[in-house]
Amino acid sequence: MITVSELTRRFGARTALASVSLSVTRGAVHGLVGANGAGKTTLIKHILGLLRAESGSVRVFGLDPVADPVAVLSRIGYLSEEKDLPGWMRVDELIRYSRAFYPAWDDVYAEELRQTFALDPTMKISDLSRGQKAQAGLLIALAYRPELLVLDEPSSGLDPIVRRDILGAIIRTIASEGRTVLFSSHLLDEVEQVADHVTMIDQGRIAHSAPMDALRESYRCVTIRFEESQPRPPAFAGALCWDGGDREWTAVVHRDSGELDGAVASSGGRVVAERAPSLDELFIAHVGTPAAPDGEA
Amino acid sequence: MRSHAAAVAWEFWRRHRWGLIAVACYLLALATFKLLMLVRGQPVTFDDELTFSFAVVVPSATAFMYFLAVFSFGFAGDLAGRQSIYPARLFTLPVTSGALAGWPMLYGTVAMAVLWLATRFLAVWPSDLDVPLIWPALFAATILAWAQALTWMPYGLPGLRVVVTVLLLVLIDVVVFVAHDSKASEPVMLAILVPSLPLAFLVARFAVARARRGAVPDGRNIFIRFGQVADFLSRRRDRFRSPASAQAWFEWRRYGWSLPVLVGILLPFELFLLFLFRDTPVLVFETLLAVLFTPPFMAVFVAANVSKPTFMGSDSYGVAPFIASRPLTNVSLVAAKLKAAIWSTLATWLLVIVTIFLALRLTGTSTLVIEWMGKVIEAVGTPRAIVIVLLGFSLLVASTWKQLVQSLYIGMSGRGWLVKGSVFLALSLLTLFVVLAQWLINQGRPIVTLWNALPWIATVLVCVKISAAAWVAVRLGESRLLSDRTLVLGAACWAVAVFALYGLLVWLVSTVLIPSYFFALVAILATPLARLSAAPLALSWNRHR
Repeated sequence: MITVSELTRRFGARTALASVSLSVTRGAVHGLVGANGAGKTTLIKHILGLLRAESGSVRVFGLDPVADPVAVLSRIGYLSEEKDLPGWMRVDELIRYSRAFYPAWDDVYAEELRQTFALDPTMKISDLSRGQKAQAGLLIALAYRPELLVLDEPSSGLDPIVRRDILGAIIRTIASEGRTVLFSSHLLDEVEQVADHVTMIDQGRIAHSAPMDALRESYRCVTIRFEESQPRPPAFAGALCWDGGDREWTAVVHRDSGELDGAVASSGGRVVAERAPSLDELFIAHVGTPAAPDGEA
Repeated sequence: MRSHAAAVAWEFWRRHRWGLIAVACYLLALATFKLLMLVRGQPVTFDDELTFSFAVVVPSATAFMYFLAVFSFGFAGDLAGRQSIYPARLFTLPVTSGALAGWPMLYGTVAMAVLWLATRFLAVWPSDLDVPLIWPALFAATILAWAQALTWMPYGLPGLRVVVTVLLLVLIDVVVFVAHDSKASEPVMLAILVPSLPLAFLVARFAVARARRGAVPDGRNIFIRFGQVADFLSRRRDRFRSPASAQAWFEWRRYGWSLPVLVGILLPFELFLLFLFRDTPVLVFETLLAVLFTPPFMAVFVAANVSKPTFMGSDSYGVAPFIASRPLTNVSLVAAKLKAAIWSTLATWLLVIVTIFLALRLTGTSTLVIEWMGKVIEAVGTPRAIVIVLLGFSLLVASTWKQLVQSLYIGMSGRGWLVKGSVFLALSLLTLFVVLAQWLINQGRPIVTLWNALPWIATVLVCVKISAAAWVAVRLGESRLLSDRTLVLGAACWAVAVFALYGLLVWLVSTVLIPSYFFALVAILATPLARLSAAPLALSWNRHR
């Protein structure tokens, strides 16, 4: 569905994307996670053809989105991070205008979405709340049942109810039609809820990319308690990152790092808890910095 | 920096230091030149008008305009928008609205006064000129203060800021120049100007306070109804025929009404003059001429909005993702703009014709126009008279549309440096042209030479145009924005238009004084080609960065 090969992009002296390769298969829900400025939006803009590949290539449905924007964009539903709907339009005008571009537009589904989101058709976009604007954007991105749904930070700065609506829409899209979804977010819990493949981007590079299940199965989160206070985390091979202090430390480790138990015992500690790591912990383990808090662009 | 006043001053300096340094360097150069002349003991006079224009008038006027833009925050704000152009980020500072308005106004007015006084003392003036000292400084400061007050005000309609500001500044100009022409003394001039400064401050404070609390009036509902009428007329209430028609509707709703509204605001003022001058035929015709040239003139200002690829923030030149992600080709996006510009032009001219007709009837000046038409028919015959009127009208309509769309290739490129650079270049060329024209009028011989060289100048311009068009056509073909067939078809249509215009000109102006090939050159230059064709390339450059 999407194939990105060795994509590099620079803005002046800053490298926004460095030799990024990515493949999104049909029917997948692919989550792009990364800190602010990591390159998620830049990658999405290349996929939409809004940025031209300086080096490397981007193919969507086997086509170059820059050379053939109509063929590509007519099959993509896109919700922009910028919530840039024209403020002077009314909701019904937005629907009427958007419908003209997509032959597969489903009036019944559009109306169903409008009612679900409780959008007043006579209201101007500029008078809608931030959440309602996101819902209006999602409506026009979903109503023609696109083959590929691209959501750039869809719930950034939104309240929990709207975030639930957006996640619900993604889940319904996948469940009912098996379509492909690519969405970026720094809200890792929502990515964890819906994504079946996760790509972590850090400073323009792919830090890690794997199916969600494989990611969870490959790592474990262990909590180690020591008899005496430890000023710094113990040096165990296979530990990706440490958190904690004093007598209790928690590490994200490779599941197959068999020497951990022996090393813990020899250092005077013992494993007191073990569980599957959250995506948040895995992200910090791979990227080294926590994801940005909610609300930041 | 311990005070808000110092912080504001620092911001002006930090952001515009190179421009301010350039102005200071110019003044320093003036001073050096004058000093050198004094040291050499030469008489300090400057009687060559051209040199004086180049050395003093043009740079001073440029510095004046620059200060106007700097101190009213004109470089950062959206002049055509409804919101105040006062930077919103300053509204959260813990200072009063009076201070927010007052400090930039104080710095600006002082800068304007200093600019005049420096020019007055440092420049070498023509010997026969009695250059006043104080009132021009106050006049420049007043113009700035009112420009600030009026541009910082939030308005109910997009574009209204430009109209209100231009009208009021012109009014101040007229009052001051009338007083000056009436040989008013310096104290009288000061008495006219001084009270307007505190008044401007009060208006500015009110404007900033209003903008600060987000009180932006919204008068767009009348235009929504206007748009709904347009929808009804075109029977597209339910759905659009095609993506292209939807996009044309979008463009129309975004800026299509701007030109009719701006012209509609000016028309009553202009046509009111018919009531005043109805007994003076010359003034009636001059008024009508001014009215007829209003749409193409106002189109120049609306063009900035038409060519803007986004409908979002003023600082943004890029294509809004909402538009960039439409499944439309770049050519279709540009075509929608061209189509909306046609509707806008036709709506404007419909308004102009109806209003002129009503004004002529109400003022009783229609008989003058009928008499004049009778004389034209008598002089050139009925067919030619009809063609002259139709051709003149068509040229005005076409010129209005051309003004609206000819800068698309710059605006749609999405590069701020290109947009600002082109404005600077246009103003510089205009200034140069005015100075050159003045010089040519003053000299006798060069006009004859220029007249003889006109075909060569036209030939060079045609070569430039055709070369640019050829380059654009090759790039359009290479980038697959247009198919070969469309390119050939477009070239054929353009050639037909050129031949038609050429034939019309030859038939209309049957004189041995002008060779027919010159009409061919005029027809080629008058028919839009290169700049219009470059718009899709510019959009592609912007949309797929």
